[in-house]
Amino acid sequence: MAAAPQPVSPPAAATRGDVFRLGFIGPGNLAESIARGVAASGVLPASAIRTAGHRRPERAAAFASLGAHILETNAQVLDDSDVIVISVKPQIVKQVLVELKPLLSEEKLLVSIAAGIKMEDLQAWSGQRRIIRVMPNTPSAVGQAASVMCLGEMATENDENRVKSLFSAIGKVWTAEEKYFDAVTGLSGSGPAYIFLAIEAMADGGVAAGLPRDLALGLASQTVLGAATMVNQTGKHPGQLKDQVTSPAGTTITGIQELEKGAFRGTLINAVVAATKRCRELSQS
Amino acid sequence: MAAPPQPVPPLAAVTRGDVFRLGFIGPGNLAESIARGVVASGVLPASAIRTAAHRRPERAVAFASLGAHIFETNAHVLHDSDVIVISVKPQIVKQVLVELKPLLSEEKLLVSIAAGIKIDDLQEWSGQRRIIRVMPNTPSAVGQAASVMCLGEMATENDENRVKSLFSAIGKVWTAEEKYFDAVTGLSGSGPAYIFLAIEAMADGGVAAGLPRDLALGLASQTVLGAATMVNQTGKHPGQLKDQVTSPAGTTITGIQELEKGAFHGTLINAVVAATKRCRELSQS
Repeated sequence: MAAAPQPVSPPAAATRGDVFRLGFIGPGNLAESIARGVAASGVLPASAIRTAGHRRPERAAAFASLGAHILETNAQVLDDSDVIVISVKPQIVKQVLVELKPLLSEEKLLVSIAAGIKMEDLQAWSGQRRIIRVMPNTPSAVGQAASVMCLGEMATENDENRVKSLFSAIGKVWTAEEKYFDAVTGLSGSGPAYIFLAIEAMADGGVAAGLPRDLALGLASQTVLGAATMVNQTGKHPGQLKDQVTSPAGTTITGIQELEKGAFRGTLINAVVAATKRCRELSQS
Repeated sequence: MAAPPQPVPPLAAVTRGDVFRLGFIGPGNLAESIARGVVASGVLPASAIRTAAHRRPERAVAFASLGAHIFETNAHVLHDSDVIVISVKPQIVKQVLVELKPLLSEEKLLVSIAAGIKIDDLQEWSGQRRIIRVMPNTPSAVGQAASVMCLGEMATENDENRVKSLFSAIGKVWTAEEKYFDAVTGLSGSGPAYIFLAIEAMADGGVAAGLPRDLALGLASQTVLGAATMVNQTGKHPGQLKDQVTSPAGTTITGIQELEKGAFHGTLINAVVAATKRCRELSQS
């Protein structure tokens, strides 16, 4: 089985001379995480970032504090940007795109991060086909997102590279076909919650075994972080890593045996499959 | 419930003027991880590190390549160090300490990283009581260890701070009483393997839901990494984080429901408790 693929982050736009203007329509938390990551990692200078905060001045303040330009209206953001991220809530994406439609052209790249809104609809509402859709996940907030992107008909290779550089600034990013996005939601979209449960459970296990709560919780979260870092950085199969740390009749294989008794793995498979099914149901309603 | 404690790493030894000489008895992989981390993070200059590699010349090369001094014998290392890490395999710790006993004194701090070897025995074999015992875990190799230390009778506060600075260079470190070490083994010692299983299972779930294997595995490991990073960095309770990402009748709560059906939480508790029990059995045999 292949090791976990390491998506290659393209060099910072600033270092390869591709400084493009990045606009956000909808200055929400995810937009801010992306903007901060992009500026902090040197992908773009803060001055290349713009948004409008007319409805929510406190959001304008957040963006201003990272060095972005605050413009009066979304129309101005559109006019002054090369790549425009649609980061409003899913329920108002249609309204926003229909409003901006007269101002849009194939000269600009549209990037949607709205959960559950398909490329077909984005194209229909905007009248454009130079679009990229991205599904990031909650850990964008701490710069460790798992993001998956799919390309609209007229999106170019350079467009794909630019969007890769943006989302590499807040974690890892993959390109895949849109047909996979329900399963992506069930896995990386919902997955963080499964791990929050796992961390709490491991802490409870530590307490059951006699540890003070604070120590148990700290060890649990750091242990999960360390294990995932090993899979990411060594490129080894997780089964191989498990083999390497289970000495004969030792403590670790004893713990593993309990997990197998409890159908731990099967339960996680069920969770991903059920969440995917629910996602499909929701996107058909 | 308290958020996971964020152990505060002390200032790098070099910046606070405390450059001490660090010797390793037994130039193994964990010793090398610590040495590399210590140098890379600026806790000590490479020139402050020493080891002897008479039995395994290839290990000498590894240490020399990071800039450490290579001596002829362990006695040399002892003589030329202030803090001495005993990093030989547990089965030969007694032999090594008994050999070095005539050369040891309360002027030096002994640090043992040997799994399962108690302070009592370390004190008896070495004839010293200025000892600190540390239980790190496998992700030391990627700089994200969860380490727990306990202090011998004559270890000072400065000793504790020095050892904290060493293990902060390869992850997080806590101080706790030795009586907790079996449970620490069951949780952070064995825990990485539980997470390797979880990552594999989530990837299988992704494949069951229709994703290509490479994408599923990459998303699974990055999702786990991101979730643990959120717990570590936000300081919020994992249950609260779970609440924040489970929207009504959404995909995530559907996945959670499957985990609860499968007693996911209880199974992890069982694993930690069983591994702890096995650790106690082993330390009594």
